[in-house]
Amino acid sequence: MGMERIEVHIPSDLTFERVVRASTDEIGKVLEIPTDRLEDLKLAVSEAVCNAIEHGNQQMADKLVMVVFTVDTEKLEVHVIDQGTGVDIERLDFSEQHVEDAHIEGEGRRGFGMFLISALVDQYEVKSSEEGTTLTLRLYRKEIEP
Amino acid sequence: MTTLVEREKFGEVVILHIRTNSIDAVSAASIEASCNEMQPITVLNFREVAFINSAGISVLLKFVVKARKAGYKLFAMNLSPHHQKIFKMVEMSRFMPTIEERDLAAYR
Repeated sequence: MGMERIEVHIPSDLTFERVVRASTDEIGKVLEIPTDRLEDLKLAVSEAVCNAIEHGNQQMADKLVMVVFTVDTEKLEVHVIDQGTGVDIERLDFSEQHVEDAHIEGEGRRGFGMFLISALVDQYEVKSSEEGTTLTLRLYRKEIEP
Repeated sequence: MTTLVEREKFGEVVILHIRTNSIDAVSAASIEASCNEMQPITVLNFREVAFINSAGISVLLKFVVKARKAGYKLFAMNLSPHHQKIFKMVEMSRFMPTIEERDLAAYR
């Protein structure tokens, strides 16, 4: 298989998150990732891309989100890279989040994205500098082979 | 704004058929608008829904909030196994349990 690295660049508009999701779906099918694992990956990628658009690039039209898929014999990695000014990694909260009365009384606070990322991929890591943030999602292929 | 939700009402029951395959930031506003269609027994039909992300969960929470405030019962129907798993993970299923189509027959 000749697929080792694929890049998708999108503007900072949430509409284009769907393009990345569709790309993830196609790549996952080529790699024969089982359906349930692929659904998990698409959701994790979606969350990472939405974060990059909204929080990283602050939805600024002139900033791109780069999504780089890399494949080797061991793993599939998805690198989601924004052009923001960086985040304080210590303050990122990947902890388990549930719908609770507080959410309901607070009228639908959005706070599940990071938890979903942490729960749905084998590994994730964040690197950030004042030139942007990269969130890497990793799926090990021994897990994804049918 | 395109309507992505089709309403089917009988008695005090309304089924809100979600006519998009993606509940996300793009479809959120249209889906949220159908909160106004809620009845004492409200069923969200997810048959055509292939994808829900956290922006989508956030929209669905609006239905939970309204149901809680109005004392309505809220159910999810035709949720895929993947979304049943996600709902369980975030405990949405506590506030929006699943219902089978046949369970609605008594209300028709």
